[in-house]
Amino acid sequence: MDVSATYTFDAPRQRVWDLLTDPAEIAGCLPGCDSMEPAGDDAWRTTMTIGIAAITGRYEGTVRMTNRQAPERYTLNVAGRGRPGFVNGSATLTLTEEDGGARTRVDVAGRAQVGGTIARFGQRLLGGVSKMTMDRFFACLQQKAAAPADA
Amino acid sequence: MSSRIFGSGIRRREDPRLITGSATYTHDIVLPGMVHAVMLRSSHAHARITRIDTEQAKAAPGVLAVYTGADIEGALQPMPCAWLLPDSDLKIAAYPCIASDVVRYTGDIVAVVVAEQPSQGYDALDLIEVDYEPLPSVTDPEAAAADGAPQLHADIEGNQAFHWTVAGGDADAAFAEAEASGVVIKERILQQRLIPNAMEPRGAVAQYSRATGELTLWNTTQNPHILRFLCSVVTGIPEDKLRVIAPEVGGGFGSKIAAYPADFVTVFCSKQLGRPVKWIETRSENYQATTHGRDHVQDVELAATKDGKITGLRCTVHAGMGAYLSTAAPGIPTILHGLMLSGCYTIPALKEDVYGVYTNGVPVEAYRGAGRPEATFMLERLIDMLAGELGMDPADVRRRNFIPKFDDGHKVITTLNYDSGDYPGALDKLLEHTGYAGLRAQQAAGPVNGKYLGLGLSSYVEICGLGPSQVAGAIGFQGGLWESAIVRFHPTGKVHVFIGASPHGQGEETTFAQIVASEIGVSSDDVKIFHGDTDATPMGWGTYGSRTTAVGGAALAVAVRKIRDKAKVLAAHLLEASVDDMEYEDGKFFVKGSPDKAKTIQDIALMANVAWDLPEGMEAGLEASTFYDPPNFVFPYGAHLAVVEVDTATGDVELKGYTALDDCGPQINPTIVEGQVHGGVVQGIGQALWEGAAYDDSGQLVTGSMLDYALPRADRLPPIDVISTVTRSPHHPLGVKGIGEAGTIASTAAVYNAVMDALKPLGVKRVDMPFTPERVWRAIQDAKGA
Amino acid sequence: MFAADFEYYRAGSVAEARELLAAHPGAKLLAGGHSLIPLLKLRLAAPAAVVDIGRIGELHGISNGGGALHIGALTTHAEIAASAAVNAGAEALAEAASQIGDPAVRNRGTIGGNVAHADPASDLPTVLAALGATFTVSGPDGERSLAAADFFQGMMATALGEHDILTAVNVPAAGSGSGSAYVKFSHPASRYAVVGAAAAVTGAGGTCAGASVAVGGATAVPVRCASVEAALAGRALSADAIAAAAAAAGSDFGDDLLGDVFASGEYRKAVAPVYVQRALTAAAERAG
Repeated sequence: MDVSATYTFDAPRQRVWDLLTDPAEIAGCLPGCDSMEPAGDDAWRTTMTIGIAAITGRYEGTVRMTNRQAPERYTLNVAGRGRPGFVNGSATLTLTEEDGGARTRVDVAGRAQVGGTIARFGQRLLGGVSKMTMDRFFACLQQKAAAPADA
Repeated sequence: MSSRIFGSGIRRREDPRLITGSATYTHDIVLPGMVHAVMLRSSHAHARITRIDTEQAKAAPGVLAVYTGADIEGALQPMPCAWLLPDSDLKIAAYPCIASDVVRYTGDIVAVVVAEQPSQGYDALDLIEVDYEPLPSVTDPEAAAADGAPQLHADIEGNQAFHWTVAGGDADAAFAEAEASGVVIKERILQQRLIPNAMEPRGAVAQYSRATGELTLWNTTQNPHILRFLCSVVTGIPEDKLRVIAPEVGGGFGSKIAAYPADFVTVFCSKQLGRPVKWIETRSENYQATTHGRDHVQDVELAATKDGKITGLRCTVHAGMGAYLSTAAPGIPTILHGLMLSGCYTIPALKEDVYGVYTNGVPVEAYRGAGRPEATFMLERLIDMLAGELGMDPADVRRRNFIPKFDDGHKVITTLNYDSGDYPGALDKLLEHTGYAGLRAQQAAGPVNGKYLGLGLSSYVEICGLGPSQVAGAIGFQGGLWESAIVRFHPTGKVHVFIGASPHGQGEETTFAQIVASEIGVSSDDVKIFHGDTDATPMGWGTYGSRTTAVGGAALAVAVRKIRDKAKVLAAHLLEASVDDMEYEDGKFFVKGSPDKAKTIQDIALMANVAWDLPEGMEAGLEASTFYDPPNFVFPYGAHLAVVEVDTATGDVELKGYTALDDCGPQINPTIVEGQVHGGVVQGIGQALWEGAAYDDSGQLVTGSMLDYALPRADRLPPIDVISTVTRSPHHPLGVKGIGEAGTIASTAAVYNAVMDALKPLGVKRVDMPFTPERVWRAIQDAKGA
Repeated sequence: MFAADFEYYRAGSVAEARELLAAHPGAKLLAGGHSLIPLLKLRLAAPAAVVDIGRIGELHGISNGGGALHIGALTTHAEIAASAAVNAGAEALAEAASQIGDPAVRNRGTIGGNVAHADPASDLPTVLAALGATFTVSGPDGERSLAAADFFQGMMATALGEHDILTAVNVPAAGSGSGSAYVKFSHPASRYAVVGAAAAVTGAGGTCAGASVAVGGATAVPVRCASVEAALAGRALSADAIAAAAAAAGSDFGDDLLGDVFASGEYRKAVAPVYVQRALTAAAERAG
């Protein structure tokens, strides 16, 4: 499944980069993210409870950042598994300055693999769910970016 | 009872128990101390297993054991393939019952949990931890055969399971000539993967006795004797200590021919634990792991003269086999497909290459029609395209190429000897019955409200009644293909019949009773048919390939005739007459000219059983058995017409009418024949319009449930008009052929041709099946843009 | 198909159901069970507790008063399809209810369960959006009423909080000179709406005094087709005018289209005008 989207932040690129690479901020905005513990270089162990309506599943997995080119681009790799199956995905986030640096556009492009019960029963919903999850994640980060940086 | 019972559409005796829910299926078997197996199946299409941790699952409530691939090592042999296709470079991949290092499709068994309750088993499944290292996967057969494709089996280069060819005449010369002075039609046809969807999913109950070393296996099989043999091979339990019972089986459509790993894993569990073990698959597990059908990528071409005479046929087929070779798989896209390529037509030259290809999908096996729908489709499609190219009516192109009527053998280019047929007669009757000319006129009047009418023909001949055992051996089938019957008269004249075949919904308990009744004049109500228990019935090779009536019915007729011969001798003795002076009519034996002093078959049965007064040397009892090995296959045929309407605004296809003309020889029970045609036709329509198993690019089956896999529904179907002609098979004791698969073999092509006929004015050339509204709509948009 | 273990509670009243929800965090409400039970059996949902509200009498039934149909949340699809009041005052709703799933689903499935599940391919949300329905919600802070646009918030997401219970759906009853219709492209397997179009038209004397149109199936929540409505307002309800207005339907959909292995978002959007046109035509006929 291809994943692509574009989000615009009302913040300079460095600020957005800092947010998008900060595990605490990611954990705070990732819907259902219960924890994110360091697990080596640019990698974290996570547990997530992903829920949509009554469909809920708890996933354990890893988040890894690769191909870091601050403050322009990195690849976010997510691998999770739980009772309903597994989700493996990787997406490259590209940060581009806009409005003379006042704003930042983030292009997300990647692929996701979903396996197990969800893939067998939920194909018609997967595209919408992944988009919705991503929208929520970035909306949360957009809000944080618009707020003054943490003292 | 009159012999008119043959040909009477009496009600199926199976139905009262089926429709009142009182039949006993495998799931209904409950044994003291029985426990439940639940399979953990791979969540990946292709991956290396790096770690399995079953400790938590083993400790879960109610769990008796958890076994993995390591546990069955040495105890369960790999799954055998039983159709060793000759001259094909066949490469059989190791097919373990439980995968231990690599999983190759999302149905591969990784572990089994045995628990007191099924729910506890499912709870424990969630506690098994498996680490997978994903590997690249491929589910398209052509892509799997391409250079650089992911390799499924280390020792099988290019994923090629086999390369089989059939040829006759000089096809290349025919094409060279057609290129120069005739016409060549080319097409790429995708026969999509289908899920058989028997009403009852699969299951097994295994009861192993440590005291005797004997195993009883209840199983949802179409062929219990073959399963007994294969079970013996895999589990090592000798055949004499093995009893396989197919209780009521709720349909199979080919998906219950194969033996499956889960069956033997269930046996293993029973043996390990000393308890009866039941395994019943869920519907989604059925989609995930029970064999699928079709899955061909066909590149086909037809050579013809400019006046529509076919001169040659060439094709290359990539047939997806799935991750492993299922029991009969290699024979389906080859023997049952390639040998029928010339269909009802005189085709002087043909050549076909079939590549069997391993893919990361569910193993592909026989599915109603098994190879023959795929052959009929390519030919019938090409003929319609030829008609379009030449501006001829498709019916006229068929007439121009039909084999003329024959009644005792006709050899075709693929070496088969068809038994009897009148293909032009069938088509003519169909066209007349349906008012074909009027429909064409209606079509010519143009679309109404953006809805285009289309007509689709399909003329077919199929091979069934498999088959002469000598041929079976020559084509690599690891078994015989004869059938057996034991007929036993009790003192009161009631009859027990024991057959080796294993009907599972086709109604042979009824038709076989009709055969007995018509052959010896008892009431069909006085005949009970036993099948499906290897301890109770004689050896047989199972129910598939429209063979049960064709072969098993012949065995039964021959056995009853043996009884009639003996009864005649006994009647002559009792009437103090010479056997040569005896006559038989409707269950009565009498001296010529004295029908009022007859001995009934019931009189004879009583005397034979009490044996007070038998001719010298005659054994007591009235019983006969037969092993019937058919001298040839039988070749039913027919012609079907589909009428569709395509809504160009949405791409929606509505089937407006369907007429099936089938010739299966004399019909023992026309009601059952009609039912078989209905079901078969609808399954074929399903392939054309709705059905298709879809994998995503990581090998996940995304049509994993009935939410997404669209089965035919009654409200989208018109009444199906069923008519027939009757042409006897010259070599069959009853003249009958087979009817189980005919509808499916014909209907996919008829509906496909009808939709393409409707789309012709719009310039649409090809659309892949199934005709989802979007595909049709896009094809219309693309044609508009072109 | 075996659900994981859960605790089962049966509520006798709405108040008791709310108490149970409060006492059992993560508990799910069970009404007709046609969304929840399959999820439980597939283990795609595994709540610790299920609160069965199926037998709360006050949530059953249809009444007509104050110019609106008051439909209790536990009213089944079959009851709605058969209701004379609904057939008279909200034809589109009866029409949609009669096409949900199959008879077994319609006999058990409820309007409340359906809209609370908010499946994007469901029929009723689309109709209720077009008919201007309101949703009565009983929550910890009392009762509140929400319009469709506020109730449906996203794919399978509604304004219902953890401790809220949807108690009724209220549909303004159409007066004379009004008509509504629902036309659906039914998925051949699931019977969910690949595209479902609902239209309500007020058209005394053949002139459109007002139209409301909603389309479901192509987007996460039903889309109100404002451009179609605007194009039709004040126009004669001719076939041409309806076709011209319906052609604009796709322009209201936005960019986030839902597609799947059966039908892409692009296709759904492209054929939506056909279904909108058919719904408008039927609604206009009924209004006339």
